[in-house]
Amino acid sequence: MIEVRHLTKRFGPKTAVDDLSFEVHSGTVTGFLGPNGAGKTTTLRSIVGLASPDQGDARVNGVSYRNLRAPMREVGALLDAKAYHPGRRARDHLRALAVASRIPVSRVDEVLGLVGLADVAGRRAGGFSLGMSQRLGIAAALLGDPPVLLFDEPVNGLDPEGIVWARKLMQALAAQGRTVFVSSHLMSEMALTASHVIVIGRGRLIADSSVQDIVRGSSRTSVRLRSPHAELVVPRLQEAGASVESSDDGSLMVTGLEAAQVGDVAFQAGAAVHELTTVQASLEEAFMELTQGAVEFGAPEEPGPTGSAPAWGDPVATGGWGPSTGAPGPQGGQG
Amino acid sequence: MSGAAPSGQAAAPGGRTGPSPAGAGGGAPGLADAVRAEWAKLRTLRTTAVSLGLTALFAIGLSALACLLTASHGRQPRTPPTLSIIQGGWELGLLAIMVLGVMAVTNEFSSGLIVSTYLATPRRSRVLIAKVVVFTSVVLVTTEVVSFADFFVGHAIIAAYPSFPNVGISFPNVLRAVVGMGIYTTLLGLVGMGAGAVVKHTAGGIAACVGFIFILPGVLSALPASWSNPIGKYWPTEAGRQVVLLTHGPNSLSAWWGTAVLGAFVVALLLAAGYLMDRRDA
Repeated sequence: MIEVRHLTKRFGPKTAVDDLSFEVHSGTVTGFLGPNGAGKTTTLRSIVGLASPDQGDARVNGVSYRNLRAPMREVGALLDAKAYHPGRRARDHLRALAVASRIPVSRVDEVLGLVGLADVAGRRAGGFSLGMSQRLGIAAALLGDPPVLLFDEPVNGLDPEGIVWARKLMQALAAQGRTVFVSSHLMSEMALTASHVIVIGRGRLIADSSVQDIVRGSSRTSVRLRSPHAELVVPRLQEAGASVESSDDGSLMVTGLEAAQVGDVAFQAGAAVHELTTVQASLEEAFMELTQGAVEFGAPEEPGPTGSAPAWGDPVATGGWGPSTGAPGPQGGQG
Repeated sequence: MSGAAPSGQAAAPGGRTGPSPAGAGGGAPGLADAVRAEWAKLRTLRTTAVSLGLTALFAIGLSALACLLTASHGRQPRTPPTLSIIQGGWELGLLAIMVLGVMAVTNEFSSGLIVSTYLATPRRSRVLIAKVVVFTSVVLVTTEVVSFADFFVGHAIIAAYPSFPNVGISFPNVLRAVVGMGIYTTLLGLVGMGAGAVVKHTAGGIAACVGFIFILPGVLSALPASWSNPIGKYWPTEAGRQVVLLTHGPNSLSAWWGTAVLGAFVVALLLAAGYLMDRRDA
C-alpha cells in the first residue's frame, strides 16, 4: 500500500503538489491521471525519496522509501526510461542494480526475458529506442520482484503491440496481489488499464474513485435517440428537464434523462423510436470535465454549449425500451 | 534503431510467483553491496579502461620523451631535478585523473542513471562512500603502477647517457617521491570527485578543478609575499605536491604534512558533497 499524506512540494514560487493525500491499495491497477504539469511526476518522485517534500510525507507499507531495508525488493519504480548510462550494456546495467540490492544476478536474465529484451541484452543501452528503454526501465522495476510497483508514463514510446503488452503486464501484476500505480496523461489508455483512478490537477486531488464511478458521474453521459418524429419528442423531452442537441447524422443527443425515461417520453408523445442508446462519456471526456480549470498549459477554452439541466424527469412507468439497448432497432418503434 | 524492436512478446508474467515482500535475495543490502555495485558499474564502462590506459600511456610516453631529449642534449640539470624530468609527463596524468574523478560522479547525473542508483541505494552518502572506495582502489593501484613504470623507464633512458646525472630508487627520498606521485594523483582525483558531486555538471566540475589546481595558485603568487607565503603553504594542492618533491623550500610543508593537509581537504570536500547529495532532489 502507498500512502501520501498532505504532501506539498514547492519549486521556488510554484507549488507543484499542494496538500495532496491519497492511498493506493493492492490488488488493482490504480491510474494516476492529470494534465501535464499537474504534479504527477513530482508526487511519484516524492514517494520513492528522489524529491523531498516541503510538507507531509509519502510512505510505502508504512515506511518512507529512504528507510526501507531492501528498497528494490519492496518497491519497483520506473520513473525515467533513460535512467541508465548509454555506454553500458543492458544486462550490465541491471546487474549493477541487482548487486546493489542483493538480488540474485540470475534474476537479471529472467526480467530481460519478461520484458522481451533478451535478444538485445548484450547491446549498449544508448542505442535503444524509447520503447526499448521503457522495457528496460520496467525490467529494472521488476528486478526485485516487489509487491509495490510505480510506473511513470510507462507506455510512452511503446508501439501499439507494446502498449497492449504493458497493459496486460500491469493487470497481471495487480492480479498477483501487488500494488500497481501507473501515471498517465492518456485517459483512454488508463480507461483500459486501471480500475481505480486518482486524478490531480495543479497539484491538488480532484478525484479518487473507480473508473466506473467517474464515467458515470460525468454529465456528458447522454442518450442517443433516433426518431422520425423528432418534432413530437423534443418539446416533451425539454419539458421533462432534458437538454437536447441534434447531431450531424440526424439523431438527437439527450442529456439529463436516462434511456428508459427518454423511451417513455417518446412513447407518450407517440413518436416512433429507431434507436435508443446510452452513450457513456469516455474517461477522457469525464477527465476533461473534471480537470477543467486545473489545466496548467491549456489553450484558451471555447465557450462550449453545456446546458445539462440537472432536473430529472418524472419517473413514469417503464416503457418498452430497456436502459441501454445497444443496437439500433431496425424494425421501427412501437406507438 | 527502433526497427530492431525486441521480438520476445511472450512477456506476460504468467509463470511468476506472487509478490514476496522480503524479495528474492538475502538480507538488507549494505555498504559492501553498494561498493560491489559501483565496481560492477566501473568495470562495465569501456571509457574507464580506455581513459586509464591512455593516461598511463601518455604519462609514461611524455616522461620518456622528456628524459630522452634532455639527456641526449647533455644539458646539465640544476640540482636535483632529474626526478622531475622523469616525472615530467605527470601534469597531464594529474589532469586526466582529476577529470576521471569528476566524471565518475557527473556521468550519473548527465545520463540520468542517478535515478536508478538512488532507487537501489536511497542512502546517498552510501553511494558516495562506495564510489570513493572503488575509485580510490582502482586509481591508486593504477597510478602507483604507472608511477613506478614511469620512473624505471626514465631511469633506463637516462642511464644510456652516462655523462648525465641519474637518480636511483635508493637515493634519499626518491622512493617516497615515486610512491607519493600515486598518492598525490589519487587525492586530486578525489578532489575531482567531490567537485563533481557538488557541481553535478561535468564541464562545471572540471572548470572548478582546473581553476583550483592550476589557476588560483598562479594568482596567489601575484599577491604580496606576506600573503602568498602562508596561503601557498597550506593551499591544498601545493601542500599535497610536496610529497613528489625531493627538497622543500622554507615556505613549504614537509612531504607528509603536506599530504595530510590535502587529505584533510579531500575529506572535508567529500563530507560537503555527501551532505549536498543527501539534501538535494535528484
